Parts: sequence; structure tokens; C-alpha cells
Amino acid sequence: MTAETRVQLPDPSLPPDGTTSRPQDWRARSDRRLGWLLVSPLILLLLGLVSYPLADGAITSLWTSDPVNGVPNRFVGLGNYRDVLAAPETRAALLHTFAYLAIALVLEIVLGMVFALTLRRPFRGRVLVFTALVLPWALPGVVSGLLWTRVFDTDNGVLNSLLLQLHVTSGRHAWLASPLLSILVITVVHVWGVLPLTVLVLLSGLNGIPADLYGAAAVDGASRLRQFWHITLPLLRPAVAVALTTGTVAALAIFDEIYVLNGTALSTRSAMMQVYDTTFRQLDFGHGSALSILLTVVTIVLAAVWVVAFRRVAR
Amino acid sequence: MLVAFLLAWSLGPVVLGVLTSVSTQRDVAATPTHLLPTAPTVTAFRSLLGGARAAGPVAAGTVSVDETQAFLRAVVNAGVSTGLTVLVVIAIAVTAGYAFSRLRFRGARVVLVTAIATLAVPVVAVLVPLFRMLADARLIDTQLGLVLVYSSATAPLAVWLFYNYCQDVPFEPEEAALLDGCNRWQALRHVVLPQLVPGIAALTAIVMLAVWGQFLIPLLFAPTSQTKPVSVLITEFSGKHQTDYPLVAAAGVLALVPPALIATVLNRSIRNMLGATAL
Repeated sequence: MTAETRVQLPDPSLPPDGTTSRPQDWRARSDRRLGWLLVSPLILLLLGLVSYPLADGAITSLWTSDPVNGVPNRFVGLGNYRDVLAAPETRAALLHTFAYLAIALVLEIVLGMVFALTLRRPFRGRVLVFTALVLPWALPGVVSGLLWTRVFDTDNGVLNSLLLQLHVTSGRHAWLASPLLSILVITVVHVWGVLPLTVLVLLSGLNGIPADLYGAAAVDGASRLRQFWHITLPLLRPAVAVALTTGTVAALAIFDEIYVLNGTALSTRSAMMQVYDTTFRQLDFGHGSALSILLTVVTIVLAAVWVVAFRRVAR
Repeated sequence: MLVAFLLAWSLGPVVLGVLTSVSTQRDVAATPTHLLPTAPTVTAFRSLLGGARAAGPVAAGTVSVDETQAFLRAVVNAGVSTGLTVLVVIAIAVTAGYAFSRLRFRGARVVLVTAIATLAVPVVAVLVPLFRMLADARLIDTQLGLVLVYSSATAPLAVWLFYNYCQDVPFEPEEAALLDGCNRWQALRHVVLPQLVPGIAALTAIVMLAVWGQFLIPLLFAPTSQTKPVSVLITEFSGKHQTDYPLVAAAGVLALVPPALIATVLNRSIRNMLGATAL
């Protein structure tokens, strides 16, 4: 990247005017002062609004908390974590969350790859297609949920209507009644909002692949499929890692789409919703914090796994 | 073929929402349901925006005066908190992103890596403690409190995006200005800033969209009409008027107009900035 190529220019040969320090030193000192000045707002924010709350949450997760009955907090070590992992609702919520995650990542990578390859080469009207592509990402999750209700509604939904008219099914499906089906439906709505980002990331990965590689492969008689398998996919690994990471962070935090489509129903409740319920409805900060720290750890570990597993491979 | 599928997938739900919002209840409830409204009407929009005023008991398909006011209020609230957050986050991200990309100073790497690592920390991790912090400071249900939480949630991403952007802006003009005897500030004002304007525009759009769409944060931190944004109000609204599809769709359509406009007008620069994360 440019940072590495940006070598310090050789000393400009300034007329010897008796200055004590060389211009390079002056520059380095001014860089340091200006640098810290420009970065200080970010540092304040990271300390005050990220690090401190994070530490506070970690500490809270080790104590009981019962503000409703006014019982003093007691140190319980990892007790809250044990409780949380043993509670059936939390287990179910974690299971749902992993289901959301798995379905979302598969859909995002597969559809994202298809769309990115489609948009790779210029064609007439591509700019308009790009505009359409970005739209779902720009919309609030709540609004996408609302828009999709007309699709999946049991009585007035377009999907049921379509299936009936095409005689694919004989009755109306209550898409949001069966747990499995509703998780699938909710994930589709979630993916709808995240996919544009996946496509853009993969697309810019594709644009970074030198065209002459394909030329050389074609001369050697490699088929399109072999080119995709041996050139595109390996070189796309870093982009896939970014797509998987953002997809994971988004899916593990899934909340809005579920809330709009199915409320806080136990059958589709995500871990994030369980945190919301425990902390802000039952006012149980200890268990709520424990679960949120667990969720954070899972997110960070998975993100690290994607980054390491899909690291740029030396060719 | 694939392009058609892509268009249908991306635009389908939006088009459906717009169609529903101008349909009558009867069209929606028909069997089979009518996709295209037989008698297009803007009743839903008029009643939302206060055109159709029902006196006394509220007739079906309309909303009360209070609800109209609440809706407009929520749109204004969302606008205020979004605008303020954008100011804060842009200031933080542009200064820090530029510094990481251009200035050499000890510790820069550590701060940058910390900021990027924060991206993997989900909001949930800080939500509970932040709630208690802001409750202690009596900042729940204030725009200031909301702006703080929104900034915490969006600033790291913004810094990363802007750092990436700066890395792609050529360094030569700036270097030349410095060699020609400009000091850092002069170079910043006359050479660097003009180069960064497109990036700042794209970043502004991205932060705006990210904040406008927030739901869980305002659900917790903006409990009353004092600060409640349209994203939260809309869910209460759709719960209350569950069977009134056109009305709920109209509310959704109104809430999607600002983000859709931003995403369309700044489409190219938004795409470039988001895509650059892969490099």
C-alpha cells in the first residue's frame, strides 16, 4: 500500500542560513505534535465511550445485580456466566443466533459472489443497477422489516398469493409461525440489507485482480471455470475475509428485523434480544452483562478466525 | 437474467412498499391480494402528515391528531440526532484518519489498530454500561446522550473508512507544498482539504445512513417523544395499526425517502468508500 512506498524524500538542499535543526527534524517534531492533536478526539472517545464501558461491563458481569429488590450486589465470579449458559432461554437464543449467522453468511457469500461477478464487467445501465444495489443497505433495518411483511404475510402476502396462483402449494403458509421457517425468513430480510456491502467488497476485490492473469490463463487453455477456481477465488481471499467479518458482526447483533417481523417471541429470539430482555426488562444487569460479554467474545473470536483463515496467501 | 434478478431482489420490496402505501385496504385484503392498486390513493400519506383530520373518534384508516404530531416530531428528532452525530463523528474521523495516513508519530499504529479492533466489538458490549453511565449523568432521553452513544457506535468505522480513503489520495501535491515552504497548516488548508472533500462527502453520507437507521440504541436511550426518532416510532405505530397495511407502508415509505435520496445522489462515492475496505 502507499504507506510503504511513501519513503521520506531526500533532504532538500536548503541554503545554509545558519538554522540549527535540519528541516527533517523540524518536520518530525511537528508531525508528532500535530498527530497527537488530531488523534486526541478519537482517543477520548475510545477511552470514554468504548474502553471504559467495556471494562465496566466486564466487571458488572462478575457481580449479582438486583436493583428492583434493592439487594446489595455480591461478587459471584463466573457464576453469572454459568447461569446464563445453563438457562434454556439463553441457550435457545444462542442457538437461534448461530442459525441466523450460518444462513446469513452462506447466502451473503454465494449471492454476493454471483452479483459481484455479474457486475464485474461494464454493461449498459450498470450505473443504474449499482444505484438499485446499494438501496437496501441504506435503509433502516426496521423499514426493511416493514417492507418485507407484505411479502411474507400469511393472508395478504405476495409470496403466498404467488405460490397459490402458480399451484405450487395448496394452502397458505404461515411463514412466521414455524420456528425454522421464520428464522429463514428473518435471515433473508437481514441478508437483504447486508448483501450490498458484501457485493461491493467482493467487487473491489475482483477489480484488484490483474487482468493479464486471465489472459495468460486463456492462452494456456484454461476454461472459465478453472480460471475462476485457480485465479479468482485464491486472489479474492482477503476480500472474502472482510465480507465474512462484517457479515459476522452484523449477524451476531441481529435485532431490528426480528423485532419488526416477530417481536421478542421466544421462538426466534436472538442473543442480542435476550440481552435486551434480561437487562432492560428484567433489570438483571449481572446476567445481561455476562451474556453481552459472551456475545462479544464470540464475535471477536470469529472475526479473528476469518481474518487468519483467509489471510493473503503467499503465491 | 442475473441483472434482472438483482434488480428484482433489490427493488422488489421497496416497490411493493410504495404500491401498498397507495393502495386501499380492500385491495390489500382481496383474495388474491392486489399487487397493483385498483384505485390509487394518497389517503395514508395525507392522514400521516395531517391532511385528513378526523374529529372525535378516529375512523379506520386515519390517525389521530396526536399521532400525526408524534410522527412529524419523530422525523425532526431523528434529523437532529443524526445531524449532530454526523458533526461529531466527521470531526473525529477526518482528523484521525488523516493523521494516521500522513503523519509519522510514535503510538499512531497502536491507536489505529485499537480503533480498527473496536469494529469487532459489537454495540451490545457497551450498551448496558453506557446506559448506566448516561442514567447517572441524567442524559437518558436527551439528544446529547443519544449523540454520545451513536458516536461510540459509528466513529471507529468512520475512522477506518477515512483512513483507507486517505491512503488512496496522492501524497505528492502535499509533499510539494511542504517542500515549497508551506507549513503543515497551510498545506492542510490549501492543498490537502480540497483533495479530501469527496471523501468527506461520502463519509458524511455513510454516517448519516448508519445513524438514521439505528433502532436498538434509541429504543433504550430515547424513551419519550422528547427524543424518540422515527425508526422507533414506526414500530409502535405498526403495532397499533397492524391491520392497516397502507398506513404502515406509508410510514415506512416516508422513513425511507431520506436514506434513499442520499444513497442515490452519492451512490458512486459511497460505493468506492465501502469497497475500499477490501483492499
